[in-house]
Amino acid sequence: MSARTLAAVAVLLVGLGVALPALATGYVVYIGNLLLVFVVLSLGLHVVIGEAGQFSLAHAAFYGIGIYTAALGAGVLGLPFWAALLAGGLLAALCGLAIGVLSLRMRDIYLALSTFAFGEAMQWVFLNWTSVTGGPNGLAIPPTSVFGHPILSDKAAFPLVAGVTLVFVALVAGLHASGLGRAFRAVRESEVAAAAVGIDVRRTKLLAFTLSAFLAGAAGGLFTTFSTFIHPDSLGFQTTILVLTMIVVGGVGSVTGALGGAVVFGLVSELLRQVPSYQEMIYGGILILVMMYAPRGVFARLGRR
Amino acid sequence: MADLLELADVSAGYGRIEALSGVSLRVPEGGIVALLGANGAGKTTTLNVISGIVAPTRGEVRFRGRSLRGLGSDAIVAAGISQVPEGREIFRDMSVHENLVIGAHGRRDKAGIARDIEVMTGYFPILAKRFRQMAGTMSGGEQQMLLIARALMARPHLLLLDEPSLGLSPLLVQQIFDIIVRLHREEKLTLLIVEQNAAVALAVSDHATILENGEVVAQGPSAALAADDSLRAAYLGA
Repeated sequence: MSARTLAAVAVLLVGLGVALPALATGYVVYIGNLLLVFVVLSLGLHVVIGEAGQFSLAHAAFYGIGIYTAALGAGVLGLPFWAALLAGGLLAALCGLAIGVLSLRMRDIYLALSTFAFGEAMQWVFLNWTSVTGGPNGLAIPPTSVFGHPILSDKAAFPLVAGVTLVFVALVAGLHASGLGRAFRAVRESEVAAAAVGIDVRRTKLLAFTLSAFLAGAAGGLFTTFSTFIHPDSLGFQTTILVLTMIVVGGVGSVTGALGGAVVFGLVSELLRQVPSYQEMIYGGILILVMMYAPRGVFARLGRR
Repeated sequence: MADLLELADVSAGYGRIEALSGVSLRVPEGGIVALLGANGAGKTTTLNVISGIVAPTRGEVRFRGRSLRGLGSDAIVAAGISQVPEGREIFRDMSVHENLVIGAHGRRDKAGIARDIEVMTGYFPILAKRFRQMAGTMSGGEQQMLLIARALMARPHLLLLDEPSLGLSPLLVQQIFDIIVRLHREEKLTLLIVEQNAAVALAVSDHATILENGEVVAQGPSAALAADDSLRAAYLGA
């Protein structure tokens, strides 16, 4: 993402953060919140798949860990928003680090399957650890508080969600341009060559998984600011695939792609709720068309220097 | 001259397969040493042990008299050993410029890195022409030049070259070896060159080691090895 694109995104997010709650209906603001959560989720998956080229299919699990940690942190421990968000991100990051160890031993389809298995196992935990997560009854998320003020609506949450999202976009854009970003891409392209230029391949992979999971967990923390309820059904493989579709449609490897893909595909997926029976078919159709006509993604070109 | 690099009785393998057994060899400071042998003789494994990609099961690698045991590839590059891996291991989807910058991954001196990029484009003018081009779109010879330049961006004292002639036309091989010899002279580089093309490697090197099935079968001054008809017939395919 170029500095100019980042500046445009910043202006847009700040503008929307101020204007949207005043102008739009609650439902529209809710969609706005949800899209921004998807943006952060996409940025997270972008780090591990797009930058470092490591297949991780457990993203929804890290997202769920972030949601439950932030919700319980706020509800049981009375943590303020920032602390709950950080706790969600950090606990997810810790699990991400553990999953990252798998990437030191296996790659490609084997890594994809193992991370998929972890995702499924975590959904099972969310569903059956009833005393903590409420299990199949779901969990009511208490209102978040910022400086002692509870946030009770989508409109009140939106500026906060927009601000945090902007910070993460800037961080990931900065990461992309940094030496660490180059190291990630080097590992993606060739581990042999990366080692030959003196990159610690193991540490780089672990870092990619950890950062990715942190962002997913933080996205979960953001979700708790405007949502009042979470059920394990929405933390399964479909969510991971949805986010994966976002970064693929947007353009794998491009920060702008992850951002654009999340917004556009998030909107598409919300609109398709009206026609649930065609939803999967239309997803599939879009994916096939993109792979055929824009295999590098719809938004990747925009972000190129 | 003092030894810059010394392998003492090194064995290494992959799983239960032993690829190297009891290899000893010395690379004197400022020298050019060739490591020869057929496919599967253990040449690349030897380089991978030196650069920390494969851990030795026995024996020791010493650089400037200090053991490299337990060091990762990042620490070994930082100590002054760079490898030019075989098989065109460039970063294909990065530009020539990015490939050079990433070669200096462990360095922090921005001005020095910029200067070294200019030095490299001096040695390899074609890289200046292709500066913004994706590395994967270049020809085999150009990619080989980029690989060498990328390895030099780490400012090594010892450069390990793995089959620099592989898949190149005789003319290009000559060109690349000319530059390698110039680098050796002008940048005071010590070189360890793995080659199947024994004729070229023996011509530029002072010492050579011949490996077969992971063991040293001959070692000595390159001129003497080149003159030994029975060795040439048995191991060097000439």
